[in-house]
Amino acid sequence: MKRIRTAILFLTALCNFFLANAQESIIRGRVVDKSDNTVIPGANIIEYNNENRVVNGTITNVNGDFVLKMNNSSNTLKVSFIGYKSQEIEADPTKTIIVKLESSNVNLGEVTVSAISKSRNNLTNIDDRDKASSSVKVDLAEMKDVGVLSAADALQGRISGLDVISASGDPGSGSQLVIRGLSSMGNNQPLIVIDGIPQFRISENFDLTSANSEDISNLINVPVQDIKSIEVLKDAGSTAIYGSRGADGVLLIETRKGRMGKVQFDYQYKYSLNIQPPAIPMLNGDEYVMLQLEEWHNNRGIFDIPPQIAYDKDYQDFYNYSANTDWLAEITQNGKTNDHYFSLSGGGQKTRYFTSFSYVNEGGTTVNTNSKRFSTRINLDYSLSKKLLFQIKFNYTNNNTNGNLKVNGKNVREMAYIKSPNMSIWEYDAFGNPTGEYFNPIHSYQGNGDVYFNPVAVADLGKNNNKSSKLENTFMLQYRMKDWLTFRETVSFQYGGSKSKSFLPYNAIGADWLSWDINMASENNSFNRSLRSESQLAFSSPFKSDKHSLSGAFSWVTNQLANEWMTVQASKTPSTDIQDPAIDPQINWIGNGPGESRTISGIANVNYKYLDRYMIQTILRADANSSFGIDNRWGIFKSISVGWRFSNEPFLSSWDFLGDSKLRFSWGVSGRQPNNVYARFSTYASTGNGSYMDNPAIAPTSIQLSDLRWATVSSNDLGLELNLFNNRIYLQGDIYQKVTTDILFDNYQIPKSSGFDELSYFNGGEMSNKGWELMIDGIISKTKDLRISVNFNTSHNTNRFNKLPENFNPERSTSIGNGQYPLRVQEGEAIGSFFGFRYLGVFPSDEDAVAKDADGHIKHDSEGRPIPLRYLDTYTFKGGDPIYEDINHDGKIDLNDVVYIGDSNPDFIGGFGTVVKYKHFDFSASFQYRLGFDIINGIAIQTEGMNDRNNQSKAVLNRWRYQGEDQAGMLPQAYMNHPANNLGSDRYVERGDFLRFNNVKIGYELSKNLCEKLKIRRANFALSARKLMTYTRYSGQDPEVGQDASDPFWIGVDQARTPPPKIFTFSIAVGF
Amino acid sequence: MRIRAKYFLIILLVFSQISCTKWLDILPPNGLVRDEFWKVKEDVEAVLMSAYETFSSMDRTLFLQGELRADMLQGGVNQSSDEQNIMENNIYPDNPYCDWSKFYLVIDYCNEVIKNAPQVQKIDDTFTDFQLKSLVAEAYYLRSLTYFYLVRIYGDVPLVLEPSETDNADFYLPKTPGKEVLNQIVSDLQANYQFAPSGGFSTIAENKGRASKAAYDALLADIELWRFNYEDVLKYVQRIEKNDEFKLLPSSRWFELFYPGNSLESIFELQFDENLNQSNNTYNLTRRANQQYTPSQKAIQMFGFEYSNEIVRGQDATIAKYGDNDFAIWKYVGQAADGQSVRSGDNQLSANWIIYRFADVMLMKAEALSQLQRFDESLAIINKIRDRAGVSMLSVANNTVAFEDAILEERARELAYEGKRWFDLLRLGRRNNYARKDKLIEIIVSNASSTQKRVLAARLTNPLGWYLPVYATEIERNKNLEQNPYYNF
Repeated sequence: MKRIRTAILFLTALCNFFLANAQESIIRGRVVDKSDNTVIPGANIIEYNNENRVVNGTITNVNGDFVLKMNNSSNTLKVSFIGYKSQEIEADPTKTIIVKLESSNVNLGEVTVSAISKSRNNLTNIDDRDKASSSVKVDLAEMKDVGVLSAADALQGRISGLDVISASGDPGSGSQLVIRGLSSMGNNQPLIVIDGIPQFRISENFDLTSANSEDISNLINVPVQDIKSIEVLKDAGSTAIYGSRGADGVLLIETRKGRMGKVQFDYQYKYSLNIQPPAIPMLNGDEYVMLQLEEWHNNRGIFDIPPQIAYDKDYQDFYNYSANTDWLAEITQNGKTNDHYFSLSGGGQKTRYFTSFSYVNEGGTTVNTNSKRFSTRINLDYSLSKKLLFQIKFNYTNNNTNGNLKVNGKNVREMAYIKSPNMSIWEYDAFGNPTGEYFNPIHSYQGNGDVYFNPVAVADLGKNNNKSSKLENTFMLQYRMKDWLTFRETVSFQYGGSKSKSFLPYNAIGADWLSWDINMASENNSFNRSLRSESQLAFSSPFKSDKHSLSGAFSWVTNQLANEWMTVQASKTPSTDIQDPAIDPQINWIGNGPGESRTISGIANVNYKYLDRYMIQTILRADANSSFGIDNRWGIFKSISVGWRFSNEPFLSSWDFLGDSKLRFSWGVSGRQPNNVYARFSTYASTGNGSYMDNPAIAPTSIQLSDLRWATVSSNDLGLELNLFNNRIYLQGDIYQKVTTDILFDNYQIPKSSGFDELSYFNGGEMSNKGWELMIDGIISKTKDLRISVNFNTSHNTNRFNKLPENFNPERSTSIGNGQYPLRVQEGEAIGSFFGFRYLGVFPSDEDAVAKDADGHIKHDSEGRPIPLRYLDTYTFKGGDPIYEDINHDGKIDLNDVVYIGDSNPDFIGGFGTVVKYKHFDFSASFQYRLGFDIINGIAIQTEGMNDRNNQSKAVLNRWRYQGEDQAGMLPQAYMNHPANNLGSDRYVERGDFLRFNNVKIGYELSKNLCEKLKIRRANFALSARKLMTYTRYSGQDPEVGQDASDPFWIGVDQARTPPPKIFTFSIAVGF
Repeated sequence: MRIRAKYFLIILLVFSQISCTKWLDILPPNGLVRDEFWKVKEDVEAVLMSAYETFSSMDRTLFLQGELRADMLQGGVNQSSDEQNIMENNIYPDNPYCDWSKFYLVIDYCNEVIKNAPQVQKIDDTFTDFQLKSLVAEAYYLRSLTYFYLVRIYGDVPLVLEPSETDNADFYLPKTPGKEVLNQIVSDLQANYQFAPSGGFSTIAENKGRASKAAYDALLADIELWRFNYEDVLKYVQRIEKNDEFKLLPSSRWFELFYPGNSLESIFELQFDENLNQSNNTYNLTRRANQQYTPSQKAIQMFGFEYSNEIVRGQDATIAKYGDNDFAIWKYVGQAADGQSVRSGDNQLSANWIIYRFADVMLMKAEALSQLQRFDESLAIINKIRDRAGVSMLSVANNTVAFEDAILEERARELAYEGKRWFDLLRLGRRNNYARKDKLIEIIVSNASSTQKRVLAARLTNPLGWYLPVYATEIERNKNLEQNPYYNF
């Protein structure tokens, strides 16, 4: 009945607004600060009845004025405001009341916040403190001033079990996140949940050109300053609540909200300088020409020297082919980033708000690459009544990225590496006068001008622009039906659109007008939308008991995702000024595709705690997804976690050093769903040219998947959390096992005798990840002036293919050749193992290139001549050729000599760091490491092969040149079109271990007194640097090589040509 | 209490707003899905046409499979290295030329028709039994023809008789011996012969371009000849002979076989029409400017004016001369037997690809007769073909070997570049337990460069090497497949 009375009161209060009531009296007044008489906006004026219950209230406006219609003039009024002592006032409707509030003695800056976290995960309705599953939460407050641009950057090396790898150093390209090892085929990125709303994963057919990893990173392109905390859910005990999308782990991002109090303005400006680490030194023009001559000579003996490498003064293009161009330097620049961030927050008793605007302009380290991002966020909480809360979240992001074009599959940096350095950037006539044009011959010494293009011309003239924007709105209405029962309805929609345009003018490449890629323009438009509704009934203990505590929630979630894309590619636009593929050119390709998927989920979870010591939490979730046929539509995901807070046991009460500590165990099952929502259908479409004679021809284009189901990941986790010595030391350790069954293979190849090339998806096999993790946080000093804290984490993971699908052939690419690694997977071995030849150096002379038996004796033929060593049946090795170990001593290097040569999974990953605060200064540093993995140096394969016309690295200067030459570390001879001087061997397999000085920051905060004098709330300055130093023995550009297990035969080959730059940042932040 | 009731109502509303199953059934917005397909007879016909269309798109493959390893072709500068390797018998399983995927695509489409057409008849009342059986007979024909090519190219191949409809199908079939494959297709052909269409279509193109009873007979005769069942060959050829619709064209009109095509002599030919965007690949394959394939020295001596007396099917008809030692294959690029008027405009890529024609079938009969020691009858046929070609009558010694050589030679002249030669050679080499293997090697080696001759001869000694290896990726994908042992290094 109380409820009804409240509701009636509420209604009458509303009515009173319109009806003049004799009983009421109107009170007017102004609230000011007692000490300086400044007005106080946002102060609360509350009417209490004789039972001391709140019946009415208001807040002061910006001038500090308030008007309140009192329900009953005999009621009391109280004025309060944060930071001031509240004051009871006498209701006198006859005059304007001036309320002078006295500031309270509590200094807000030094309020100590209890260590016990009270935050709750919305879906599970459980206190963080009581969680019995494995997750780690990072507070990002301290990262604000460091030169990190995205949340992924901030997490690098900071969370045990989370592997963050920067995909590339190009602006706008992101990172890959892998939680506890590769557990599925294809995209292993975790699900990202921002403020409770899962972000849509971009469907496979969304954009044909962009990589998955980049899409994902864009999702977390939330300005770092907006992020309050990031929580990483690692075991199925916690991810089961996200059901079919939780298999690869979950990242919960919480954005900042307004807090009650005076309005706060904050402005931050950051300036960063991005410096590209030195490139691999490449041959100059003279060295290149020498190498080419040698390659030809070793292959052919005497030969006609092509004029381009002959330095012949009479040759018409002599001046164009006698340069020493450093192509890499020509396209490299220092990137500059400007980052403006402004936020406004505050609130009263009824309303709390947080608004931010961010603008980032990031310049890339390659010429003509940059990205601009604008984003804004509004988080608004409005309490309609004590029981009714209305929440709005609004977020808009706009990205504008300019990149370089890829021409014939090569980007400008790749081309700069291989482009012959004796060619000039600008064209000269036969007399050496510059013509003002880029030198872009249709045929150069290296090949066709549209394949071996001029990288400077393409970087300067080619346009590749992507504009995307995303809008996200969330509305939440929460009604507290009883003290222990809350109903919450959340509706959110996301809308994302993107437009990519590219144009390659004819003068950027060398091609004649008949060529299909002249003045090529393309345009891609796509958009995504999603609508999600969540109804939740959350409860806590209905009974009042100190011993038992019960909480939980029942939720019903519906989710709709849709996307559409359309691409037009055309060439031969009539002019370079017409860059639109729709205007009059030759259309090469038009494509489009829509997609829609729907999911319904029911979630139940119940948490029980006894005596604040024993906890048990259970989750049950059922998902139905439109991607599956009727038989496999429902997936059931579940978990159970138990925890024991032994520190509260009476028998341990004598251990004073022991703080809040617990032991926990969890078991659970979560899943993974296919990205392509229509994959299960067999679609009938026109085949070939669509007809035979006058009859239409229609046939199935794919195989129907009636067996498609969820991939399931079940995991166990045993964890220990220890708080020691009054929270000075915090320890967290976990042992886990994660088993993926029914692994979801994308584009699973089947024998072509079926008439088809692949199944869109296939469930099969089993993969496991086992490992342990350890995190230690310690506070070394905790005095008023000096606070020193350190942190360390490490984790170890072992990946294993327990079982391959039936009929799965574990060998791929059984042919061998230069730069090719035979691909194999084996049951019981990790994904990502390398196989290849063993490289043993270089044959000093022809006599050394002979077949040997197991004892190392030279084999002889029937006539007593030594048998030469051969490669397949096609080539006989000579002096100067590389030595590959003839494992089976049959005198022939072939597939039988292939052995295991390395593995690309790291044994240990982790990081450590420290934060020091001394008076107004603060200092932080963090390191990241990855240990125990190998990398195939893919760049070296291409720049040390010496068998084609590509430019090579300076390393090849130390090559074999004459019979009998035998020097340590010498590379093989240069030999044009050699069939086997660069086979996939351990010559290019290197240890990738690295320790990286990831972040360092020094900050200074203005003192309170100075701030007051300057009439500001706070101000600080910071200098920081990122990726300052990397300690590694790896000889390539950067040992951070992604783990993109798009297929089971994935191997870690370093192809990155733009390593992550060093970033130096200066930032200034001011608050009012 | 009312308030509470209201909220419960809201909850109820949210929970019940959706009828789950329906809400979750989303069909792709573009393209038909299987559940919506197979409703009317037009669906059956459309899939059958896909089979024809896909088979037609293999015309380049059919040309090369029949000629590349034989002796009538010479590669030009634009010949791909993969094809050059096949030509020189440098064959490795990773040569894309060994990929059989398109053959099996045709087979899958045929299997779709064979399986689903009877279901359609139950739904579509307008779909008569006659129509059903006729369409299915066409599907059986195309499937059998495809398997016959596969057996001749690869020896043993997986025998797929069910469509790959869902992922429950068994995709990992092992090889079936070629003999069993042939047994299967012969019994399929025999069972469906009576339902095959017999000239009932409204256009000549359709009568020639789709499987007919005569096409059935030609294929059966061809298979039986390959299996050396000579009596059966006679039986099937006689059925064609009884049919008035097929006649040898007169000498003056011989080139009409190729331009405009669909002649009286034609039994089954793949239809191309550039106007309908149905372009052939033979034009670009043999077009002089493309420099891919030209006649071999042997072919030039067979057809050139300087060397031979072939008028009707010689220089300017089968081949054309552009200059000294500069010849081109004329059958698919010429518009007339003058060696000059090149196909132009919409005709360029419209030359049909003849699978069977009457002269071919008659020579099959001659071959069968000679093997049955009925030499006079055989010679009569040979001379009938020669007479039509305007060349002198032959007299051949009455022994099978002499006849074998004479017929082989005659087939080379009459059917040059029609994708027959390599299979004719294989038949010669296989006959009587490889009795004349050396002759086959001799013929092929004669077209090789002097440095290659010895290597080539050695490579052809093992008859297993006459068949192509299973493509490498196919071996990788299907563990149950065994590689042709000749290619196991």
